[in-house]
Amino acid sequence: MEVGKGSLDLEKEVLNEGLCTSCGACVDICPYIKVVKDRVAVIEPCGIAEGKCYDFCPRTPTDIAALDRRIFGKEHSDSALGSYISIEMAQARDSEVRRRAQYGGVVSALLKYTMDLGEIGAAMLTRPFDGGLMPASMLAEESSQVLECAGSNYIASATLSGLNKVMKQPRDAVGVVGLPCQILALRKMQASKHETGAKGVKLVIGLFCTWALSYKGFYEFLRGKLDPSLIKRLDIPPPPANILVVDTEAGTIEFPLDEIRGFVKPTCGICFDMTSEFADISVGMVEGVEDWNTVVVRTAEAERLFEKAKADGIIETRPLEEARLGHLREASLLKKKRAISEIVKRTGDERALLYLRLSDAERSKFL
Amino acid sequence: MSIVKLDQPGKSVLMMGNEAIARGAIEAGVDFCAAYPGTPSSEVPESLASVAEHFGLYVEWSTNEMVAAEAAAAASLSGLRAIVAMKQNGVNVCSDFLMTVNLSGTKGGLVFVAADDPSAISSSNEQDSRNFARFADLPLLEPATFQEAKDMTKWAFELSESVGLPCILRSVTRLSHSRGNVKLGEIAERGRSARFEGVYIAGAFVSAQHSALHQKLEKAREEFEGSEFNWYVGPEEAAFVIVTSGSGWFYSREAVAALGLDGQVGILKLGTTWPLPERFIIDHLKQATEILVVEEVDPFLEQNIKVLLAEQTKTLGPIEVYGARTGHLPGFGEINQDRVAKALASIRGLEYRTRDEAYAKKANELALPSLPPRMPTFCAGCPHRASMWAIKAALKLDGRNGFATGDIGCYALGAGPAGFFQLKTIHCMGAGTGLASGFGKLGQFGFDQPVIAVCGDSTFFHAAIPGLINARFNSSNMLMVVLDNGGTAMTGFQPHPSSGCDALGRPAPVVEIEEVCKAIGVEVRVRDPFEVDQAIEDLYDMLQNDGAKVMVFRRRCYLVESKEKGKKRVFVDSEKCIGDDCGCARFCSRVFNCPGIIWDAEAGKAMIDEVVCTGCGVCATLCPSGAIIVEGG
Repeated sequence: MEVGKGSLDLEKEVLNEGLCTSCGACVDICPYIKVVKDRVAVIEPCGIAEGKCYDFCPRTPTDIAALDRRIFGKEHSDSALGSYISIEMAQARDSEVRRRAQYGGVVSALLKYTMDLGEIGAAMLTRPFDGGLMPASMLAEESSQVLECAGSNYIASATLSGLNKVMKQPRDAVGVVGLPCQILALRKMQASKHETGAKGVKLVIGLFCTWALSYKGFYEFLRGKLDPSLIKRLDIPPPPANILVVDTEAGTIEFPLDEIRGFVKPTCGICFDMTSEFADISVGMVEGVEDWNTVVVRTAEAERLFEKAKADGIIETRPLEEARLGHLREASLLKKKRAISEIVKRTGDERALLYLRLSDAERSKFL
Repeated sequence: MSIVKLDQPGKSVLMMGNEAIARGAIEAGVDFCAAYPGTPSSEVPESLASVAEHFGLYVEWSTNEMVAAEAAAAASLSGLRAIVAMKQNGVNVCSDFLMTVNLSGTKGGLVFVAADDPSAISSSNEQDSRNFARFADLPLLEPATFQEAKDMTKWAFELSESVGLPCILRSVTRLSHSRGNVKLGEIAERGRSARFEGVYIAGAFVSAQHSALHQKLEKAREEFEGSEFNWYVGPEEAAFVIVTSGSGWFYSREAVAALGLDGQVGILKLGTTWPLPERFIIDHLKQATEILVVEEVDPFLEQNIKVLLAEQTKTLGPIEVYGARTGHLPGFGEINQDRVAKALASIRGLEYRTRDEAYAKKANELALPSLPPRMPTFCAGCPHRASMWAIKAALKLDGRNGFATGDIGCYALGAGPAGFFQLKTIHCMGAGTGLASGFGKLGQFGFDQPVIAVCGDSTFFHAAIPGLINARFNSSNMLMVVLDNGGTAMTGFQPHPSSGCDALGRPAPVVEIEEVCKAIGVEVRVRDPFEVDQAIEDLYDMLQNDGAKVMVFRRRCYLVESKEKGKKRVFVDSEKCIGDDCGCARFCSRVFNCPGIIWDAEAGKAMIDEVVCTGCGVCATLCPSGAIIVEGG
């Protein structure tokens, strides 16, 4: 086993380099690292050479193949979408769920269902608008709370700090919904030699993600144009719309995406994962189909639950057309290629891919 | 029963210097006392407050020394006797008034007690306030003994009335804060009533007023010539004379005795040092060829004596003057018997050693390794520790190299390890706010660091409000953090305008800090620093906003709180304590570092020192493992 590093290394290699994803994995495991909004900082060095924080971070070196083996029992065969059992289009049958959800409502419906079955006792989720623009982590302990967290907010939230906090009283059978970086961190936590509450997480639902926004810049941008406390929903409709739609209690405003891109977190530029490849099941949009999701079932456990939900009439599925699957694959590959090229630009070395420990064969596919 | 009101004339009692000053005022029949607390002066008003109801005095804690001086002057202008006490920095604060009330003159006896702090034991400077007497042309008295502290104060009222000017009585820490025998005098009959008549306007015919002031000072000099507070001891025709005042008297006498020079060296002790009793001095220096001037802190007496000697060369002939200018005494810091003896020995070519060198070396070898290094720190339970941690965290999270400016109060320790080295500037009362107001306007010069002005609740009222208004008026980007612990804590928790009680402990109207801020028009939030995470989040939030903002961190001084309300027992559940492991790394005892928490190195666990702990429980909220338990929640 490689010798780990500590909080000072985390600060130097990740935080000071602007690579923090604000996932929250390093927060609320000790008194030294704090998060406010999406800003994470090491307040004081703890002096520990080998720490959980460095170990859990999704932007510290990660042996991708080892994670694959741990989660899926083998290394992934699909360079674009990771390990999976099936890919389908799906939607919640309950129209109320669909109405509140961003797209097809599969995440909410599946969570509610799993909780009602008693398969999971609680879920660590992200409330998109917690009395303002900033999302916040929330532990849903009743299935009725799940819908409070339906919908997307394009700002990164330290959801895993919420998990760390809750798991100080260890519990099992917890579900987590997260972005690809959060899912990667969660899996690193579960694989860690360190003691962590993440070991009690049973169901991992990953979301598709192309990038997330920094709170401060985006907030200041919006503040000049509307009252951020009135925001009800944010949406980025599929191409070629190229806009961000902001629904507020005072009406709907559209912004060209080009005005927003400057607020994308720099770390998103080195992100290798669009479809939450380490989740049990990944859910995202279907290009051009408004109230449906693309669902990537990756583990046997997720397959069992998903099939049961279908059989019980909770979720309806349709095959994902080849052309759509092709687009998805293409988009994911593009993100990976961009990430590698950005990393190489930063390091100046094609072999030093920062956090990505890829095999030579794998690396060569993207260079 | 308060010693200050003991009605037994002739009885000798042990009194603190400040009590003796208060007693002197009582014996003079003082009516009115106003002051802002400041070490080492605070026991003067406190002693008077303790007997205020008994004697029918009025005693107040004023918002600052300027206001105290003005309030006391109102009593004087109405024919009452009034006293103001302040530390040396307070003299600066009220100096604007001093430099004009000297011109208008006063009526009832008005005494300014300036308690200086040589070596700055509890101060940010060690200025010598005597310079203000010369600067403002006011009579200056310097008590050297506890008896004089009382007697001179009493006489100062009479002098003030006879010359129509305020008198400055200058004490130092060692006199104000130590105790000695004082023979009590009679307590004056009281019964003055206040009535204002006449005109007291400085600035009308200033030069004429200035000239009249010089005449009043001349009158004071005449009184000084025969003053019982000036005396000479030693051989009749000593060629070597120590000229001294204040604390220098005891040190000089001891030094002369230690060197066996009683028969050779005379001591001219002056109690009235501005204007100098010139004839008295000349009379006693007629045979002198060498003098050593012994005083704290500046060579004030030394320079004035030199001027006098220069004028009297024909009468006195050449006299060699030793002191700070010749390097025999430092001219800074406290002096003591040893320093005076060394100066004397060096001038006289004598051997002088305080102790055997081998002994000193051995004592150091034995003592030093066993003395643990102790940094000054906040008390156990002090809310400032949590506030400073919140400031550190918010600035670090903000990430723009922000910093904090401070001023005078317990929180000045925030510049050191107790406050995680957060305060980067400390000057005088309110300075942090004014500085922050300035830093917050440097944006056009490329300045992009956020700045936090840290100020105490009492300091807020004393000197920080104009700085805040300035920041608001000029749209400065700054965040003021008021550490509101409910009183003027550093000087002994005296009440201030938002404490809800007056100097006598009676209920008083509350001037709410946040209401003042709202009226100024700045964003203001009030938070409990013990809710640390919330405090951090709010501070961070406010740092993101432009303009002047105020965060009031409100949590009562826990020393006072635990005394009044009893303390809860706090203990460590050693099963839960993870000590040195990742996830804690001894946060409570190593980083947060409250003196109530100890590290048990053998067990590898934290422990609560139940003697020191005040039971505030903030450590329990910070412990990452929930291992610190507060009994009863």
